[in-house]
Amino acid sequence: MRKYLVAAVFAVAVAALASVAFGSTKSPARTTSAGSALVSCGTTRTIGVAAPITGPAASIGQQQLRWAKFYVQRWNAQKANAKKKIKIVQGDTQLGVDTAFAVKVAKSFSSNSKLLGVVGPAGSQEVVASTSSYKGGGLPFVSGSATRTTLTDGHTDGNRRGFFFRVVPNDSVQAPTVANYIAGKLKAKRVYVIDDQETYSQGLANGVETRLKAKGVNVSRDSISQTASDFSSVIAKIPGTTQIIYIPWQLAPQAQAFGQQLKAAGKGKIKLFGSDGLFSPDWKIAGSYDSFFPVASGDPIVKAYEKAHHGNGEFFGAPSYVAAQVIVNAVTTACKDGKASRTEVRKLVAKTKIKTSILGLPVGFSAGGDLKGGGFGIYQIQSNGSFKRIG
Amino acid sequence: MNADTRQRLGNLGGLAVVLIIWTIYAVYFSPTQGWTFFLQLSVNGIILGSVYALIALGYSMVYGILKLLNFAHGDVYMIGAFIGFGVLTLLGGPLNPAIPVALLVLCMFVVAMLGSGFLGLAIERFAYRPLRDAPRIAPLISALGVAFFLENSALLLFGAQFRDYDGFDLISYNGIHLGGDNGVFIQYLGVIVIVGAVFLMFALLALVHWTRLGKAMRAVSFDREAAAMMGIEPDRVIAATFFIGSALAGAAGVMFGLLFSQIYHLMGFLAGLKGFTAAVVGGIGSIPGAMLGGLLVGLVESWARGYLNGNVSDLVVFGILIGVMLVRPSGLLGTPALQKV
Repeated sequence: MRKYLVAAVFAVAVAALASVAFGSTKSPARTTSAGSALVSCGTTRTIGVAAPITGPAASIGQQQLRWAKFYVQRWNAQKANAKKKIKIVQGDTQLGVDTAFAVKVAKSFSSNSKLLGVVGPAGSQEVVASTSSYKGGGLPFVSGSATRTTLTDGHTDGNRRGFFFRVVPNDSVQAPTVANYIAGKLKAKRVYVIDDQETYSQGLANGVETRLKAKGVNVSRDSISQTASDFSSVIAKIPGTTQIIYIPWQLAPQAQAFGQQLKAAGKGKIKLFGSDGLFSPDWKIAGSYDSFFPVASGDPIVKAYEKAHHGNGEFFGAPSYVAAQVIVNAVTTACKDGKASRTEVRKLVAKTKIKTSILGLPVGFSAGGDLKGGGFGIYQIQSNGSFKRIG
Repeated sequence: MNADTRQRLGNLGGLAVVLIIWTIYAVYFSPTQGWTFFLQLSVNGIILGSVYALIALGYSMVYGILKLLNFAHGDVYMIGAFIGFGVLTLLGGPLNPAIPVALLVLCMFVVAMLGSGFLGLAIERFAYRPLRDAPRIAPLISALGVAFFLENSALLLFGAQFRDYDGFDLISYNGIHLGGDNGVFIQYLGVIVIVGAVFLMFALLALVHWTRLGKAMRAVSFDREAAAMMGIEPDRVIAATFFIGSALAGAAGVMFGLLFSQIYHLMGFLAGLKGFTAAVVGGIGSIPGAMLGGLLVGLVESWARGYLNGNVSDLVVFGILIGVMLVRPSGLLGTPALQKV
């Protein structure tokens, strides 16, 4: 009898959990094969935000979500929009754990017929993994951080033209910026490059390595896994005469641990140089360099965000504000006649023309979906952990 | 000398030959030659291997008694790391410890070991004991369920963010230089980990060989029913085994946090797999085998990362697991399973 009672309680608990889990997604409705089905816009228009809200990259994903929400909050607060509201549905892609989470989010968004566009995902590997789901649902998706160059060339990582857009410059811009700074400004002659075995990191590491070698710099190359915690053997290999270690990684806590272990191994004088994926408060090895997207730190909107977040600009997430702006503008225009389709929204996203943005430059896209113009800045981590632009 | 002992000695002799050949190749013929680099990687490997050995002991003890692969063990280690971090935070954190550092570290170990031990007890009581007489696949599935339960519970309780032990700031970035400034460097933290692990392993060996509980554990491991007929309570012995194995995992979790700084809710998966590999390579069910296996896995991982590219370290570690299974299915110090009829 007791066994049955325990089993019954367990079954009820599972059923309750399941109902909570499924209840949060509401009725998933049908998938539109080409995204041409018309949706009645009504007073509430829905967009998705796909970001690593939890997981090892949560610190940057949370920033992206907060910035996207910040845009929507400001838009909803405008008097002109009093009778219409934007609603965000969020999806947790858990970057750094498994791209399967990003695919699940993409499928969930695609099957939500009310959803007209997506901000995200964050990682290049997530973009690659989830493209077929977004394309299947006809959804436009605008990333605020995926920088791998080949995402937009139309063939290397698959074709996503007309569906995928990004509001950050790609690694074909980032790699030369970094290589020029290391060889030109820092005048380094011995550089050690370590990728984290992910598509984003390897592409960037290859680009920087090739350019540095072309400039006559002595470059050594190694690799670590995103699940690695013990770097002692890799550090033992790094010659003490190395001037710069280039780590284009995605997980800032991993870079922090690497820096601590480097110092503990007596090689703390070697400077670390990270990429946009490490632009996070979790990486605070003073003196390290980092390349990062353009963000107009003096812009009133950026200032307002800082004020609302206890002085923390959380710049990594700022491009997601622009991504939300792009999607919401397209949805609003498409909804002028009261109905909109995803196809319509995609076409409008492709035609985006925003004259000024918090990136400090106009926003428009090339045929491949790349941001037109824009470059990367070089930052240095200060003793208090803040990032200061130096180039 | 019986046949089992002869086989174990033969295995150890074979291992020694392989290690000597490898050392000569690494030092004199590899692209990165020299004793210093080899010894540095070996020291790193022994430090890492000490952590794996503690995890492997838990796997081995539980398997020895229940013939159960406790896949939740890696997650008990993760919980231990979080408990240690909780104590560290409560007592002021790494930069402003409220009590002397040595006492703080001791508190972290004691509380993490107790917490993990009681967690192990709870897992045994609620997830495994009810399935004691069920087909062997049932507790295995239950173990996987517990592993996922613990990972997701940790996600809910502690969040997804990495937590930073900052062990070097807490204890010291300094260490011992052997052979001058360009020689082999051993961090004090590494020394603490090795000494701590060796102490715990010998304490466990002493417990198993020289106490009534240890005798009871060996008896239950040999034949549970016969042990029960002799007045031993198998359930209590099994519970004690889970407590001890989980406490060792908790200690390993704190050591990991101190050494490598960053802990998170999924850290138990790969570490658990490596601990399991160590237990199998050493001979699952054998306590000295688990220690040897842990050290070997740590050494191989360190050498692979040092002499090859970081891409292939896990490939080499798990490749060795397959190789050992093919050549010595019962591991280096394990006993071949006998079919009881």
